[in-house]
Amino acid sequence: MSAPAIVARGLTKRFGEFTAVHDLALEVARGSIFAFLGANGSGKSTTIRMLIGLLQPSAGSVLVDGVDVIREPRRVRDRIGYMGQRVSLYAGLSLRENVEFYAGLHGLAGAELEGRWGRVRERFELGGAEGERPESLPAGIRQRAGLALAMLHQPRILFLDEPTAGVDVASRGLFWERIQEEAEAGVTVFVTTHFLEEADHCDWVCFLEAGRLVANAAPDELRRRFSTGYRVHLAPARGAAEPGWRDEVRRVLGAAGLTSETAQDGLVLRVPALGGEVFATLRRVQRELEARQGARVRIEPPAMTDVFRRILAEAAP
Amino acid sequence: MSGVGPRLEPPPRAASAVPSLRLRGLSKRFGRKLALAGIDLSLDGPQIAGVVGPDGAGKTTLLRALAGLLEIEAEEALVLGFDLRQDVRALKARVGYVPQSFGLQRDLAVLENLRFTARLHRLPEAELRRRADPLLARMGLAPFVDRPVGALSGGMKQKLAVVNALLPEPALLVLDEPTAGVDVVARGEIWRMLEERREATLVCVSTSYLDEAAACDRLVYLDGGRVTASGTPADLRAALHLELYRAWGDDPRALARAARTLAYVASARASGGFARIEVRPEHTPGEARVLRDLAALGPVQFVEPAPLDVEAMLLHLARRRIAPPGGAGLA
Repeated sequence: MSAPAIVARGLTKRFGEFTAVHDLALEVARGSIFAFLGANGSGKSTTIRMLIGLLQPSAGSVLVDGVDVIREPRRVRDRIGYMGQRVSLYAGLSLRENVEFYAGLHGLAGAELEGRWGRVRERFELGGAEGERPESLPAGIRQRAGLALAMLHQPRILFLDEPTAGVDVASRGLFWERIQEEAEAGVTVFVTTHFLEEADHCDWVCFLEAGRLVANAAPDELRRRFSTGYRVHLAPARGAAEPGWRDEVRRVLGAAGLTSETAQDGLVLRVPALGGEVFATLRRVQRELEARQGARVRIEPPAMTDVFRRILAEAAP
Repeated sequence: MSGVGPRLEPPPRAASAVPSLRLRGLSKRFGRKLALAGIDLSLDGPQIAGVVGPDGAGKTTLLRALAGLLEIEAEEALVLGFDLRQDVRALKARVGYVPQSFGLQRDLAVLENLRFTARLHRLPEAELRRRADPLLARMGLAPFVDRPVGALSGGMKQKLAVVNALLPEPALLVLDEPTAGVDVVARGEIWRMLEERREATLVCVSTSYLDEAAACDRLVYLDGGRVTASGTPADLRAALHLELYRAWGDDPRALARAARTLAYVASARASGGFARIEVRPEHTPGEARVLRDLAALGPVQFVEPAPLDVEAMLLHLARRRIAPPGGAGLA
């Protein structure tokens, strides 16, 4: 395992009497998507600003890509891409002019710039927007443009602060697809959001509440600990089933040590987590039903929103 | 009791017992910009109507118009039986409104803010407490009645804004993204309040949260200042001819990437333990084909056709863009 992309220890920020971030410790693995969640005012933006060297912590240490951010904030600049809550595009400049401005900051020009921008433009579906000024673009496209610019210098670590806030659902979906592609290519993504279901697009989840971490785990681990687990609905696909199918399915489940409950129109299986063995059993059930009236196997994961409700309920003093 | 601002007329005899609205060709222009370009919308009876649509579609403008806050043009514009083109003071007395940006006095205490609203509606102190106390208790705000509103957390502020809007026991409740950025617990509390009123009140609420959109009785989809679709979430889903799949596996991100190479796949991304795969609307490969193709691409544990969720529905409506006026509604 390579060293983590980001390591924060004892990170604290006080504004006068008010402690915005309290003794935060986190590690972000390279090439992962790290979700940093919490409500407005929970300390997310304050933390992100400390991590990228825009804000001096009251205490604690931060290493980003091995660089001590507090001592050498400038050395971090070229290694990271940052997109703030207010997308950092200059109004009055066209998108193309913004591109040239950002490229200039990172010493990019000529064929190299054109090659990179051409690829980014295509991936983020920005072709039609190049001549437009940011203020005349819909929020979704503006957001994608902001992300494209943050990635132009091919940073190894991306910090994205509420990239999907105020953006319509179509753009949100496209955005997450692109982010996952970046992670596949080895880029580390640190992203904040208040859409809790988006935690499921990430590898790791930290949840901040009033400046303190109340969760720090992989999404599936949170599901395991803070929900009643997956609900799998098993039923024949067509009409009134011939009698006896329930017994057959129960037999298959029983052989795998699983028990089900009878529901109105089928059987319901509850499992704390899914994995190879459960899936193998589900395939067997599917085949069993398939041979009769066709199978209808539906997996219902516990909603992330409910998981976080429970985390907060348990964290409450 | 003087000097507390303009007083609203007392509510007249109910214009109609059942809260309803009927809009035809409603438009609103801000300078050169046409924010609403002919809204056709009828809502009859108490319900939660979710106003959804892309940024800049006109959601806020429509909600402000419903609350009687805008001068509009229309062929017909009846809200609770009152005509939006005429004197709307009587309407305002029966509407509760939560604006997108917090509208209460930050330097006044919680109860002082509510008292101000009560006076506008000529509610005596005893009546104010009779109505406000249970609402404040339910929202977990009771311990903070003397706290200045500016010192409340974001979630508490929004909960108070909802309590404030409920105070006149309105027949129409208009809320503009009341839960944007609010913590998940407060969001749940606010929605419980709305759901308790769906039997008696016409609730019009805009939201960008998918779970909230799914909880609405009816969705009104706005695009380009027009209603391009409206109906119950179930109706809107039934009108979709979309295939959506979940492919479960140990590496859902790799599965999503592999799925994107299939010609009939519109989008794919990892979500939890599965890759969520949306098929292009013009294709219907069917479950068996998708299963076969995915199995050939990578280690798939299980493939299931996924229920069409609100996200798929909204995406479809967004891609359809603006339908010609007239035959646009799905409902």
